[in-house]
Amino acid sequence: MYRDTSHKAFTNIGFTLYHVVSREMCLWDVNDGRCIEFTKLACAHTGIQFYQFTIGTEKEGRLLCNGHYPEILVVDATSLEVLYSLVSKICPDWISSMSIIRSHRTQEDTVVAVSVTGILKVWIITAEVSKMQDLDPVFEEESKPIYCQGCQSISFCSFTQSSLLVVCSKYWRVFDAGDYSLLCSVASESDQSWTGGEFVAADKVIIWTEDGCSYIYKLPASCLSASEHFRSDIGKTKEGSIPPLIYKIAERADKQLLICPPVTRFFFGRREPFHKLLIQGDSAGRLSLWSVPDSTPRQTLQVSSTISLQEAFDKLKPVSAGIIDQLSVLPGKEEPIKVTASVYIPSQGRLVCGREDGSIILVPATQTAIVQLLQGEHMLRRGWPPHRTLRGHRNKVTCVLYPYQVSARYDQRSLVSGGVDFSVIVWDIFTGEMKHIFCVHGGEITQLIVPPENCSTRVQHCVCSVASDHSVGLLSLRERKCIMLASRHLFPIQVIKWRPADDYLVVGCSDGSVYVWQMDTGALDRCVMGITAVEILNACDELAPATVDALSHSAVNLKQAMTRRSLAALKNMAQHKLQTLATNLLAADNADKVTTALITFRNTRKQTSLETGGARRGNSSPGGQFAAGSSEVPASPAAHHLGQVCFTKKRLQGQSYRKPSSTLAPRGLQFDTCGLVLSSSVSFQESLLRQLSLATGRKLTLSDIVGKGAYGLSRAVTTQHLLSVISLANTLMGMTNATFVGEHMKKAPASLCGATPPPSPSPSLRASIADISVIKR
Amino acid sequence: MLNPQRSVSELPKMSAASQVERAVLEEEFNWLLKEEVHAVLKQLQDVLKEASRRFCMPSPGLESQLKQENFILGSSTMDQVKGVLTLQGEALTQADINLKIAKSSQVLHFQFREDKQWKLQQIQDARNHVNQALQLLSSRDETYHFKTGAEVNKLMDAVMLQLTRARNRLTTPASMTLPELATSGLMKMFTPPMPGDAMINFYINLSKLCLTVYQLHVLPPNTTKNFRPAGSSVLHNPGAMFELNNNRFEVSHVHKVECVVPWLNDTLVFFTISLQLCQQLKDKISVFSSFWNYRPF
Repeated sequence: MYRDTSHKAFTNIGFTLYHVVSREMCLWDVNDGRCIEFTKLACAHTGIQFYQFTIGTEKEGRLLCNGHYPEILVVDATSLEVLYSLVSKICPDWISSMSIIRSHRTQEDTVVAVSVTGILKVWIITAEVSKMQDLDPVFEEESKPIYCQGCQSISFCSFTQSSLLVVCSKYWRVFDAGDYSLLCSVASESDQSWTGGEFVAADKVIIWTEDGCSYIYKLPASCLSASEHFRSDIGKTKEGSIPPLIYKIAERADKQLLICPPVTRFFFGRREPFHKLLIQGDSAGRLSLWSVPDSTPRQTLQVSSTISLQEAFDKLKPVSAGIIDQLSVLPGKEEPIKVTASVYIPSQGRLVCGREDGSIILVPATQTAIVQLLQGEHMLRRGWPPHRTLRGHRNKVTCVLYPYQVSARYDQRSLVSGGVDFSVIVWDIFTGEMKHIFCVHGGEITQLIVPPENCSTRVQHCVCSVASDHSVGLLSLRERKCIMLASRHLFPIQVIKWRPADDYLVVGCSDGSVYVWQMDTGALDRCVMGITAVEILNACDELAPATVDALSHSAVNLKQAMTRRSLAALKNMAQHKLQTLATNLLAADNADKVTTALITFRNTRKQTSLETGGARRGNSSPGGQFAAGSSEVPASPAAHHLGQVCFTKKRLQGQSYRKPSSTLAPRGLQFDTCGLVLSSSVSFQESLLRQLSLATGRKLTLSDIVGKGAYGLSRAVTTQHLLSVISLANTLMGMTNATFVGEHMKKAPASLCGATPPPSPSPSLRASIADISVIKR
Repeated sequence: MLNPQRSVSELPKMSAASQVERAVLEEEFNWLLKEEVHAVLKQLQDVLKEASRRFCMPSPGLESQLKQENFILGSSTMDQVKGVLTLQGEALTQADINLKIAKSSQVLHFQFREDKQWKLQQIQDARNHVNQALQLLSSRDETYHFKTGAEVNKLMDAVMLQLTRARNRLTTPASMTLPELATSGLMKMFTPPMPGDAMINFYINLSKLCLTVYQLHVLPPNTTKNFRPAGSSVLHNPGAMFELNNNRFEVSHVHKVECVVPWLNDTLVFFTISLQLCQQLKDKISVFSSFWNYRPF
């Protein structure tokens, strides 16, 4: 995050935030967390500055970027396209830091930068240059060695317009902004290293250190343009003449917990009331703010305001719901047992949660979600929802995998789990019996992967386990033995790829090396680095269908799908992740909202069923105009059922839970699921109501569903909400000819339906159905 | 991180480790943080200083004092291209290239213009990355007391990132498209100027200084050949096509000659050794972290 940009953006435009990770640069909408623009360059950036260029009345944003390349790139702030670059003729090298000096007198602004070898470079940005769109480089105006290696920051004195502050890790220096001659140099005390600094006033600078301390110094007279001694000692700078330290800014008490230096920035308000603020953020998630006074305080300056993420979480009431909260708190224990791995099995409607104490819990997902989201008598029951505990691991469970879900070639009974205790355990998911323990690795199991479809028959019945001792194993579930252990990797394993046709397992390590193993013999075929390694990895991608990969790692890719704004990927994720998401993330404002929303539902229920009855008749008419007719048929019974789920828990239980669990029909699952999803989603948005009451003839577009009120509500909800709507539509559309209406229910609505004449499908109805198909597509 | 109270309270659900074992481990971990980490850091610094020395950093104003090295680039199997390159630090200061065109058997001779030299960005980048890794290491000298394993891991990650990048810069040359190559400044470096049907590229691959010469022929506008512009690549194959200034070209011959730069080979070895040292230290730390099951922040 870049300070000036975000600061400006919040006040002026209110939506931009630039963010650079290594080679990637993203433009974010801070209102809803969307990534607006994304680019990837060949080289890595280390710094980015916002620069607003004015041509007449037109204002254009530019980003100046420096990094691991010997130039400064000028990037358009909205499209993130590289416009031109500022290059050096003399000693071109990486730029450590840069600063933009705005001139109010002329139209020319100046960019001052210091290269890694300690050479000061000056570029002039004129109107012509800023307008330039072709990739002609701009050469520097001036290049002067100032012998400042490892420069951390460079800043211009906006008070006097006549000096520059350059902060290096072991010293800081003040230069004349006119001819860049050295005015003053101050070495750091023994074990401190400076990380940045800024002018606080014409004669004061604030310098901060790596461990989060800040110091305010008064500059000697030779550095002040207003003084008669200005530039009096150029060329005879005495290292010893340390300017007086005025005061020190208090440091945090618990800084020893930090694992990396905090980020410190100084803000100077250009408008009333001219706040001077020092802001610091650190790796413990704490933000601290000091108001820097113009007068000199007696002792160290105390922090004005501070907050940490942990404090904010601690204040949260009610605490946001977890997956299986009610099973995690053991009597006599304060801390709940944390869930460390989980997998959702849609075909059985079960959620498998591995926990930090080594136990694995199997719960019916929807019932669990209902416990989290809805209030009722079930909350008082002990040990509810019904669950099964598998005990076998001796320490934290790190991954769980249900291979049958990925490929039907696996036994439907097998559930595989890996733990910190180096073991991989195969369970019978129906009986809860431990079938086998594999102890082949010498480190924590980090990942369990299903090999692709076209491997050899032997490998097809294996799961691939990755451990933190840099080993990969192929564990045959059928033979109950490890058929291959690839363990010579020197670096942690980053990626596993397959070349089934050649019987190769390709292991990519974090140092960029690639190991090719023969699966059948377990022999190391090759170990390569460099371009060849990249080529081998890419070749595997071309052969394998990308979708398989994307689906099997839905959790990881959900985030990517969102940042890349890929609707197709989102749709996949939505289908796979819907219920866990609904449970986890929508639960925050649970009971109250749900209940109120459901009252609305109840009111519309009668009308909905009337209309549905009509629609169904329309559907069965010889014309059969409804391509998507089935979509709203289940919708309405879902609403019926919703009512049951939410208001009459007893009836619900009477329906599903009184039956023996073995005969728990999929229909019951769908009931539960739809009811749950509908009730959770509705609690946030009335638009879902509209979607469900399609038959009321109101035209409905995607923007209606996700737009308008939805964005205003909560940033976290927006995306989840979109997902819910899409997947809900998918679920409803996916169930061709499905009906929620059981025999007993058919009778009841029939009386209602009978009362209304069959309406002909209105154009608006057809339009809304088309809208749903759009969503589905 | 190693809160004894916590360890005791968690004892029942922990594995069979006894309290004595636990105390011994804690002691060992403290030894690791206090002694072993600094020993490894010292070793790393020594190795990287050696690597950095190989790059012979030019000091401003003293560029001319850098050692000049000549490399003869050729191949035993073909004699179409021969080059003599002079490397001074990170820049190629002189180049003599002899090019024998297959058809005419006439030998073309090119050399760098007096006023020009070609900077090998790969070498500069690698040098800068090593120096940044050294800076990171020097900020934690023997007097520094590491308090957590996470802190060591963080430092190792930062150092490894720089080292991996340094190595990658040498092992993975930039892949360019043919039009990028044709418009690069390299084409304007030579006297006599390069003919329009030849292109040249210099890069470092692993420890080798490579010179690639592409011979082109213009595709007639009414050609029946399927025109498909080639993507970016380090080394294009004969048959690769591209379009430049409304002319279509096809690569007819590719000549690649190379020569090992011994000091680059040394640096690669040093990078690999130091990366392994870093990883081994991280592995040692991780043994303890998994035992105590603490949160590494």
